[in-house]
Amino acid sequence: MMKHDEPVLAFTWDGVGYGEDGTLWGGETFLGMPGEWQHVATMKKFNLPGADKAGREPWRSAAAMCWEVGHHYDDAIEIDPIVKQAWHQKINSPESTSVGRLFDAAAALTGVRTMASFEGQGPMEFESLCERDDARLSDYIEFKLCYNNNLLIFNWKSLIVSMTDSTLSVVERASIFHSSLAHAILQSAKIFREKHAVNIVTLSGGVFQNRVLSEYTITLLSANGFKVCLPELIPVNDAGISFGQVMEYGYKIKN
Amino acid sequence: MQDTHISLAHGNGGRYMRELIEEIFARHLANPDLAEPELDIQADAVPIELNGSDVLFTTDGFTVQPLEFPGGNIGSLAVHGTTNDLAVAGAIPKYLSLNAFIEEGMEIATLERIIKTLAETAAEIGVKVVCGDTKVLRRGEGGGLYLATTGIGVRHGHVMSMQNIKHGDSIIVSGPVGDHGIAVMLAREEFGLRGDIQSDAASVLNLTTAAMDYRGLRFMRDPTRGGIATVCSELCRATGMGVRLSEVKLPVRDPVQSVCDMLGYDPMYLACEGRVVAVVDPAEAQALLETWQALEEGQHAEIIGRIDSDIAYVLMETEIGGERIIEELEDDPLPRIC
Repeated sequence: MMKHDEPVLAFTWDGVGYGEDGTLWGGETFLGMPGEWQHVATMKKFNLPGADKAGREPWRSAAAMCWEVGHHYDDAIEIDPIVKQAWHQKINSPESTSVGRLFDAAAALTGVRTMASFEGQGPMEFESLCERDDARLSDYIEFKLCYNNNLLIFNWKSLIVSMTDSTLSVVERASIFHSSLAHAILQSAKIFREKHAVNIVTLSGGVFQNRVLSEYTITLLSANGFKVCLPELIPVNDAGISFGQVMEYGYKIKN
Repeated sequence: MQDTHISLAHGNGGRYMRELIEEIFARHLANPDLAEPELDIQADAVPIELNGSDVLFTTDGFTVQPLEFPGGNIGSLAVHGTTNDLAVAGAIPKYLSLNAFIEEGMEIATLERIIKTLAETAAEIGVKVVCGDTKVLRRGEGGGLYLATTGIGVRHGHVMSMQNIKHGDSIIVSGPVGDHGIAVMLAREEFGLRGDIQSDAASVLNLTTAAMDYRGLRFMRDPTRGGIATVCSELCRATGMGVRLSEVKLPVRDPVQSVCDMLGYDPMYLACEGRVVAVVDPAEAQALLETWQALEEGQHAEIIGRIDSDIAYVLMETEIGGERIIEELEDDPLPRIC
């Protein structure tokens, strides 16, 4: 990233980061260069009941996303009705756009993991169910992408609902989930290339530690003429944040 | 007084205000058994008697929503909030002033209920409301009712100070935490009754008086807004020493813990209105603990930690043997609870 002189399209997907607008970010896309980023895309927002607790309790993300789209959330663990009421009244239920939580929701909805001992456990186990096979890339659900105030919104509704489809095996659902996200990245990258002539895509954030997702994404983007960059010297997850902070500050004071 | 609801006229200094004061405030707050009732509503200012000792002075404002909640109302809170501040500072509360900011349209029966509770609470503690003021705000410009009480007390016993706190001192809490914050939140958001969750709003005077018998008592504070975590952060900042707490020793009632687990709240940051945190010489900690546990108000008291000069922050030893840093509160988890 440091080596480019032209604008890039950066997908920064992780578990949680505090957004400038008070939302819990984690599914953002930025266009530009260090020191001058434009927020161009995000996930459809959902309210996370219990806020920080969601990291270790994937069922919360599953419930939040189901309730958001009016889908019934039925789970083996008995959820105290107070949780839905709190979600409804927006009590300790901050807005989030996190892809990490999207993965948690998928892991919980497919029964892979509803309660975790550490953050990311659900998504890791979910990924491990995928057989990485490019032939499976053609089996995906298309994200609805639409603009709202200059921000392109990734609508995950159909994808999340498909995670509850028990006519498909858990392995099939895991595969569809990963390829759908990769296709969504491609779809949005094409839109931004058309609008802004940007040809370089970078993938960063803890979610891209997911090898299946990263490799699917690289395959699709490369096949469509994009140059793709992943962090090589700096860690892709939170361990790389301080480096990014220094870079951003450096560019800001330089200009 | 015929009216059922407060109007702007009740705040204009004229007849309606006089009737409001006589029939709602004075009627409940004055002690009619005395030849000269203590509450002189005609006086601009009142004389008070303080017998020679150190005088302590404090004030507090009350904006709790809803006005009435399981375990109390803004009236009882207005007494406990201020008298408890005097009590933990080592004083016997003597006098209170009362400011009422009433919103136009408030139901007078509700106001009367609240003032009656306020008067009863004060009488139980032995503190006298001797002066006050009422204002009426235009509809939409006030939250129903806001109260403020300013309190005067006289010190009894030795002077306490955060400066006396030493490495190794024990930290004791007088009872389970978080009841008030959760009770008010459940009532405000209309969650319906949950087990027996009630505000713990109560006078801590019995607890503080008993604790003052211990020369090794360094300091006391009542954990209101921001909870135990905030008291401990304050200790850290004032003393420059750290605080080491034990998660398993922190008393939290099951129904409160269950709501916290479900809704994502941390009892460490939730308000109590009837608890004391005491910092005491470790040689006297067990004795103070037993003294408190023998009192009704202190049955569930626990030693929850100690002052530790080897660390510079508040550290919690978790149930599974790990450690987590307790950060200073930033965003209020629950607004308008006191």
